Amino acid sequence: MITIEQVNKIFRLPHDRKTTLRQRFVSVFQKNTYERFYALRDINLNVKQGEFLGVIGKNGSGKSTLLKLIARVLEPTSGRISVNANVAPFLELGVGFQGDSTVKDNIFLYGALLGMTRKEIVDKYDSIINFSGLERFVDAKLKNLSSGMQVRLGFSITVSIESPILLVDEVLAVGDIAFQQKCYAMFDKFKQAGKTIVLVSHDLNTVEKFCDRVVLIEKGRIQKQGTGSSVVNAYKLAVDNAQI
Amino acid sequence: MSSYTETFKQGNSLGRKNYLYLILVMAITDFKVKYDNSALGYLWSLLKPLLMFGTLYLVFSVFVRWDVENYKLYLLLGIILWNFLAEVTLNSMVLLEGKASIMKKIYFPRWIIIIASSLTSLLTLLLNIIVFFFFFIFSGTHFHPSALLLVPYLIELYVLSVGIALLLCALYPKFRDIHHIWEVFVQLGFWATPIIYPISIVPQKYHAFILLNPMARIIQGSRQAIIGPPGVFISFANHFIIIFVAAAFFLVGLKLFNKLSPSFAEDL
Repeated sequence: MITIEQVNKIFRLPHDRKTTLRQRFVSVFQKNTYERFYALRDINLNVKQGEFLGVIGKNGSGKSTLLKLIARVLEPTSGRISVNANVAPFLELGVGFQGDSTVKDNIFLYGALLGMTRKEIVDKYDSIINFSGLERFVDAKLKNLSSGMQVRLGFSITVSIESPILLVDEVLAVGDIAFQQKCYAMFDKFKQAGKTIVLVSHDLNTVEKFCDRVVLIEKGRIQKQGTGSSVVNAYKLAVDNAQI
Repeated sequence: MSSYTETFKQGNSLGRKNYLYLILVMAITDFKVKYDNSALGYLWSLLKPLLMFGTLYLVFSVFVRWDVENYKLYLLLGIILWNFLAEVTLNSMVLLEGKASIMKKIYFPRWIIIIASSLTSLLTLLLNIIVFFFFFIFSGTHFHPSALLLVPYLIELYVLSVGIALLLCALYPKFRDIHHIWEVFVQLGFWATPIIYPISIVPQKYHAFILLNPMARIIQGSRQAIIGPPGVFISFANHFIIIFVAAAFFLVGLKLFNKLSPSFAEDL
């Protein structure tokens, strides 16, 4: 379902980032220095249909970059990625909504971005609102909602569209317990429906509980992969060792 | 070299037929955001060219006088058409930046943003044209069948404007000041194009420059078609040249845009 072959992703981090012509002009005689930062290095990964894959690792290890590459938001510097199904929205904190638009407008915009027709969105509209628990705020502007509410809305839209692949990046952390329960129930439902899920999380218990396979990424490389408990334990051990 | 397999491209959740709906929703959302907090709302987009027209008309019919028949209509039409180009090209860059947070989250063809932003301007253009025809009727000018030629000119104008917008937006994430540079160019173009003055006052040796300018050809052609008197600008040759230039801008713009847009999420 998702095939990643020999993928590298290099970010060029300029020491002094130039985004205007003026800056380029002024510094035309200066050497343009930048760091080549390997966000991902030599990644080979296959995700089968119906697999629930967990991705764990420290901050800055490349987990989110991996998800963004699968979602096609970023381009790999080299290598091949193929995904032979609809890629669903990519979920993370502060989902990219339009802050100046209302909740309702955002639902329609997001639905359309995800390839839904008007009719499909209208049909799902009530269930999206119900799932998010935002009934009273339909006409409120997005920017006036709390970050937890925004994530809830993003998650509700994402789960309502029937896309076979779901990418989840650390969204559970901001939801309250009731919402987390809803999410877990949703994960179970998705698993039974044979959907493919890639979950990036620091919540090791959730990862261990739900994931069929877990990948540990360190400094842009896949360090270890295998069943949930073995990889999670290896990660915990590595972190413990680092602290001593 | 990076490459996505064909399955990936087809696997994009947006079917071709759904592009249309997405463009529409995006245009409506932008429209709402743009006019939400102003008391007069959408009226502003009609008032702006009219106020500009009023000012320029005052200056150039009271203080300076051109020898142009129906100068009022002549001026108004020029301003309306030029404003469309200015609005599409400048707004598309602003909207591209406004969509940065969405582009970082989800893949969709980036050109959709440009088309969506052009639709709002297109609506304004069409309403402005209606306002123009009110003026037209009240001025007592006779309607001539050649006025229908305005339609191809508007289509050419649209393609040209979107082509330039694609070109600018392709470069914008890497060179932000292109927005300021283009603002100056729009000002320069406004005075370099025969909008407020008749083409006849331009010295003969500069005519070649004016004829290089597709906007001058579009504006002049529309005027001759609607207001008259008919002249060289409603010829097929004129259309041919405009279409050639507009298509060139559009194709180069699209090519550059498609080449650079995959990294928009990183650069914006």
